[in-house]
Amino acid sequence: MRKILILDSRDNIAVCLVDLEIGDTVEQDDISIKVLNRIPRGHKIATQVISKNDGVIKYGERMGHAVAPIAIGEHVHVHNILGDRLSSAQS
Amino acid sequence: MSEKLFAYLRDDGRWGLRNNVLVLPLHSALASSARTIADTSDGAVAISHDWSGEIDSDLTRILFTLSGYASNPNNYAVVFLIIGSAEEKSIIDGAQALGLKNFTVLSLPEIGSLEKLQSDALVVANKYVVEAKSQKRIEAPWSAIVLGLECGGSDALSGITANPALGVASDRLVELGATSVLGETTEILGAEHLLAARAIDPEVGKRIVAMVSRYEASINYEGIDIRGAQPSRGNIEGGLSTLEEKSLGAAKKAGNAPLTGVLEFGERPLTPGLYFMDTPGHDIEQLAGFGAGHINVVVFTSGRGTPTGSAIMPTIKVSTNTPMYSAIPDLIDLDAGTIADGIETLAQVGDRIFDEIIEVANGKLTKAERGGHHEFALSRMYKTVIGEYQ
Repeated sequence: MRKILILDSRDNIAVCLVDLEIGDTVEQDDISIKVLNRIPRGHKIATQVISKNDGVIKYGERMGHAVAPIAIGEHVHVHNILGDRLSSAQS
Repeated sequence: MSEKLFAYLRDDGRWGLRNNVLVLPLHSALASSARTIADTSDGAVAISHDWSGEIDSDLTRILFTLSGYASNPNNYAVVFLIIGSAEEKSIIDGAQALGLKNFTVLSLPEIGSLEKLQSDALVVANKYVVEAKSQKRIEAPWSAIVLGLECGGSDALSGITANPALGVASDRLVELGATSVLGETTEILGAEHLLAARAIDPEVGKRIVAMVSRYEASINYEGIDIRGAQPSRGNIEGGLSTLEEKSLGAAKKAGNAPLTGVLEFGERPLTPGLYFMDTPGHDIEQLAGFGAGHINVVVFTSGRGTPTGSAIMPTIKVSTNTPMYSAIPDLIDLDAGTIADGIETLAQVGDRIFDEIIEVANGKLTKAERGGHHEFALSRMYKTVIGEYQ
């Protein structure tokens, strides 16, 4: 049973297939990630370090950018990323 | 599984994956007759529609849709039922120009009796069915496949299971030399610049961006702001963070292949590759546009499930979640929910979808075909203008 889904090898996030709790460890294929926040099923977890303003890559494509530095194992969502298209309208 | 294709070769070099005899009413008043004829025939199919020949504000779009649908390469022959208008003649002329060879036109005013129209049509339809059955499939190149990509009743899993798995299958087919067509302009809002970045040349990229802007302007005209409220509160609770992410989840049905071209509603792709067609989000109108654009097989991903099918194009249904697949197994061909349960990988499900497309292309009946689901709806940009029939 896999806990996360990496949609493309270029991605820096993965989709959680189960609810993850702080301190959980995801060990799958050749990756090992320590979970830093509570992350619900269907939400995203960082699989790589994402610096502020770096692109968030899902499906091998840019879906937005980080508005704060994101560590491996951190929840990636509206609190730390923003879409590229609507950033001006939202700020 | 055989990785060879066997299809019906048309005189003009196009390939059919089915050999349909289509009874096509060109006036809505003949729709029930068309159904009766098909139901009593030895295997003809029929569609009905709501257009009665009035001078609709969308006249060009309607005529083009019906001409394209009639000339779809999956049709061996068409029996047109008409009431004798100039618009009906232009549909038939248009179908011929698009490659339709075998057809018969039966006119109600000329025959003078609905009963006789139906019995004449039945004789003609049955003759075509015999001919169609005697035609043999021959080995076909990969370019024979013109795949339509559709989703309807999406759920939180669509973007991580069925859609990207279909993208894997679509990419494999495009790589082999087939054609794949993504539709639903509503669904790619916010991801158009990402599709444009994959365009084979800057002109194609500009066209897709312009097509989405045109659509947005038409929505704004109606006073609806679709972009501002995306992703919705429910989407955010489900884990989607940006509009791009949501639209990518839908656009991923088209995988990562380069974008070869952009098509207007019902326009045919003329060379192999991945295309985007400007179609509405309404599933059945979109299927009509795919049929008019000479697409010959469709994969339809769904989260809520749907019986939708087409009279002329085999439509393979893929569920995004296993509970829905288990609930309506007679409607859904394949389950992609296994990805979310960590049982199968995207690549494994993508390969299953690929294999199913080949088997269906080679003649395996889809569940929608076995169930006789023959939906059709004309797409209109504007409200219908009621006019007198002339």
